[in-house]
Amino acid sequence: MNSLAITLIILFAGSILTFGLDTINRKLTGWAAFAILIFTAIYFYGTEHNSDFTFHVGGVTLKWGFSQLRLIFINIILILSVLSLLYSIDYMKDKARLGYFYASFIMTVLGMMGVVLSKDFVSLFIFWEIMTWSSFLLIIYNAYYKIKTEGLKYMVFSAIGAYAMLTAIVFIYHYYGTFDMATAIEKGVFSFENHSFIPIFFALGFAIKAAVMPFHVWAPSGYANSPMSFTAVFSGAMSKMGIFGLLLVFTTYYVSHTPGGYVFAQVLAWMGGITAVMGTIYALIQTDAKKLLAYSSIAQLGYIVTALSTGTKLGVMAALFLAVLHAAFKGALFMVAGAVERQAGTTDMTAISGLIRRMPWTFFVALVSVISLAGVPPLGGFIGKWLLYEALITESHNYFLVIVIFFSSTAAFLYAYRFLFGLFLGQEEKETKNVKEAPLTMLIPMLILSIVSIVTGAMPGLIFKPAAEAMQTIGFSSMDWQMSVLSNVWGNNVDMSVIGSFISIVFVLIFVFLTFKGRKTTRRVGTKDISSSGELWKEGENWTFQQDFFKPFERAAAPFYKLKMNNIWEDLGNALEAFFNFSRRIYTGNGQTYAMYVVGFLVLLILFRDYIFR
Amino acid sequence: MILTIKILGAFLTAILAFTVGMFYGGLRRKITARVQNRVGPPVYQNFLDLLKLQAKETNIAHGFMGHIAPMWIIIASMTVLMFIPILHNGLWFDNLTFKGDLIFILYMMVFGSLGMAIGAGQSGNPNSAIGVTRGLAMMVGYEIPFVLSLVAIMIQFHTTSLQDLMQYQHETGRWIIMDNPFAFLAALLSSLGMFRYSPFDIVGAPAELASGPVSEFGGKYLGTMMSGGAVFAFIKLVLFVDIFLGGAGNTDLQGVWGILAGLGELLLKTFLFYMIPVFIGLVSPRFRTEQAIRFFWKWPSILGIVAILWAVFHPIQ
Repeated sequence: MNSLAITLIILFAGSILTFGLDTINRKLTGWAAFAILIFTAIYFYGTEHNSDFTFHVGGVTLKWGFSQLRLIFINIILILSVLSLLYSIDYMKDKARLGYFYASFIMTVLGMMGVVLSKDFVSLFIFWEIMTWSSFLLIIYNAYYKIKTEGLKYMVFSAIGAYAMLTAIVFIYHYYGTFDMATAIEKGVFSFENHSFIPIFFALGFAIKAAVMPFHVWAPSGYANSPMSFTAVFSGAMSKMGIFGLLLVFTTYYVSHTPGGYVFAQVLAWMGGITAVMGTIYALIQTDAKKLLAYSSIAQLGYIVTALSTGTKLGVMAALFLAVLHAAFKGALFMVAGAVERQAGTTDMTAISGLIRRMPWTFFVALVSVISLAGVPPLGGFIGKWLLYEALITESHNYFLVIVIFFSSTAAFLYAYRFLFGLFLGQEEKETKNVKEAPLTMLIPMLILSIVSIVTGAMPGLIFKPAAEAMQTIGFSSMDWQMSVLSNVWGNNVDMSVIGSFISIVFVLIFVFLTFKGRKTTRRVGTKDISSSGELWKEGENWTFQQDFFKPFERAAAPFYKLKMNNIWEDLGNALEAFFNFSRRIYTGNGQTYAMYVVGFLVLLILFRDYIFR
Repeated sequence: MILTIKILGAFLTAILAFTVGMFYGGLRRKITARVQNRVGPPVYQNFLDLLKLQAKETNIAHGFMGHIAPMWIIIASMTVLMFIPILHNGLWFDNLTFKGDLIFILYMMVFGSLGMAIGAGQSGNPNSAIGVTRGLAMMVGYEIPFVLSLVAIMIQFHTTSLQDLMQYQHETGRWIIMDNPFAFLAALLSSLGMFRYSPFDIVGAPAELASGPVSEFGGKYLGTMMSGGAVFAFIKLVLFVDIFLGGAGNTDLQGVWGILAGLGELLLKTFLFYMIPVFIGLVSPRFRTEQAIRFFWKWPSILGIVAILWAVFHPIQ
């Protein structure tokens, strides 16, 4: 039997198995789920996938296959899911409905794998729906009794996206007579020359999953309310399914640069830029760390959408690079938020502070990931940003979009600092005195993800290699890449290995100097022993600056904060509701009203019989 | 042989940057004093301060991030220093300039303040945190016109490398300030924010925030930060001179004389440029943070947009 089908069957069986196992042995459920995912990963990487899997059902040919582009996304899905599941074991230990959680988790992984592996539109749609529904179950995990408020937005937007996709698929069959992706693309489905509503409908479905403005409104509460161990996968891997889909829609444009495709790409690029700015702007006023990360995820996905819409070599490379890196650092950051939530009880940044001494390893992960997120050299995030800027400046000549992206990534420093400061720095609270470091099974996945950020900073070639191979499968000519040197089309270089080693040398020298100079006489004091400029410090007071953190920036950027997509959608919803209320007056459900309609219709027929029955 | 010269040259560059930065700082204090009709400290006062700080016996550390806070600013200033061409001619000050480009330098320049911000945050002093949030917010202000002007230069000259820009100015004898005056104006206005003198001294804000982010640092920590800051001031000046004012070392003299003439040219240009923020600072009161941000988003950014349009219509190559 085909290896791809076996992989999916293992996941499907595993999902059902874990659901049943919960009723038998609660403690084992997590480990069993982890074992299933590890086994899937080992099986998947251990076997060669030479042939496509075809399967005829109901007159439709389903086709699953493997390619280099798919491999990148499979790596993101499998590695991140395995790490998150390892993290889940301790994170979910004391929570209810473990079987429900793990079964939905594995089912989501199955959905994502299926989306990436499917080579025809019907199985793409089926797996897309499996992914959406099982992730919906996880979003409402913490809000079991208030589904209406928390999960509804996600469901409504996903449904809109799915129906748009379904419509497009039906029309593809109508116009081109095939469900097979490769054949349909060859016939020009995504060429934007005729029937260009088909790619747009597809893009709508994918953009909703990638939370692009203005379809992002489900994302903040969706990301913040699901259990953090799943949000790492949700934001790190599942939003990338939207990116994968958009790459699919763009395949024809990348090769032939049609004018219609150009307009579409420009619109999408600007949507990505605006998403990045607004996501950032809203991230930095959040007081809940989870909400902050959720908005930051939206912003980061905006960069990726912009990058892939440039349609140039560097741009698509930047998109793939950022997709991998975003999975690494945002996965780690959501795990950090989860660890703080589990150990300290809350992620409200106005309530806790000064956790650095209590949770030093978690802080280390947070620090590395935040530096990578902010795009500061020498870590991996910088390379993604560099590729994106150079693509926009040197290849696609979107000069003003560069400024928009730059604005958002500079403002990202603000929320990056807010996150670190809010949770870990500042004066220690009395309540957090007994907080312990997170358990080892939670720390290991976080540390592995932060190592990804560090290593890719020094050796970006590790990601360039698979990314370059993937780009060849979607029609780009072979891409030159070097292990640690970045270069643009104008021939300018940045040598990351030189930079990395220089920084390490200075780091060590200064560290030795600071540590050993006057080591004996250096007094190590706590965070309460500060110069108070004459104020008297009372016992139990906490002076940490937590409220209205970026108030001056909020005042300066006040016009931005008036733009709220939520209000527009709500107005639309209200208008629709009013319309439906009106239609309810016609279809009252009362037999007498309908009888009156029938009589009225007959009267009309009789009155105008001369014109109608001629 | 070349490697030895390179290593010696790197040390020489660091010493040069440190000395000039400290000396300019002292000069600024003297000038401020004379304008305010005081006698003022001697120009070498900054060196004395540094010696005093480094000689202090008691140092107070507020935890690990606070302990390594000065390290970040040294790393940032040293790295940027190595990647910025100091002189056009001469192997001695070449360092690593071929290995990085403008976008890297731009990002590396924020590295120091971010790292220091984390250290300042750990100290637990509310003034530090307030200063940091002000500084970060203002950075979103002044980086916008600066990037607009850099993007304008990049697209006008089809390069992202400082080396190429200096080469162009050396070969043609034209300074880029003449090729794109709007970019220079935008960058000049944003440099006022970078130097953080009045009216943009809202981060340290004497008499308002104690001394902002550095309130809790003393002794070796403050001393190390001061050295890093001095190097950083020099870097900013050299960056502006390299991009807009023709760079230094354009004479045909060979050997030692060429280097000396180049250094003289560099000192003259940087000093004159430095006096702009200093004198504006002397006659201005302090902005509030949101006023500062709004200032940068208004005229400097408009000038930056004009610079980009200018660059699009007057490409040079």
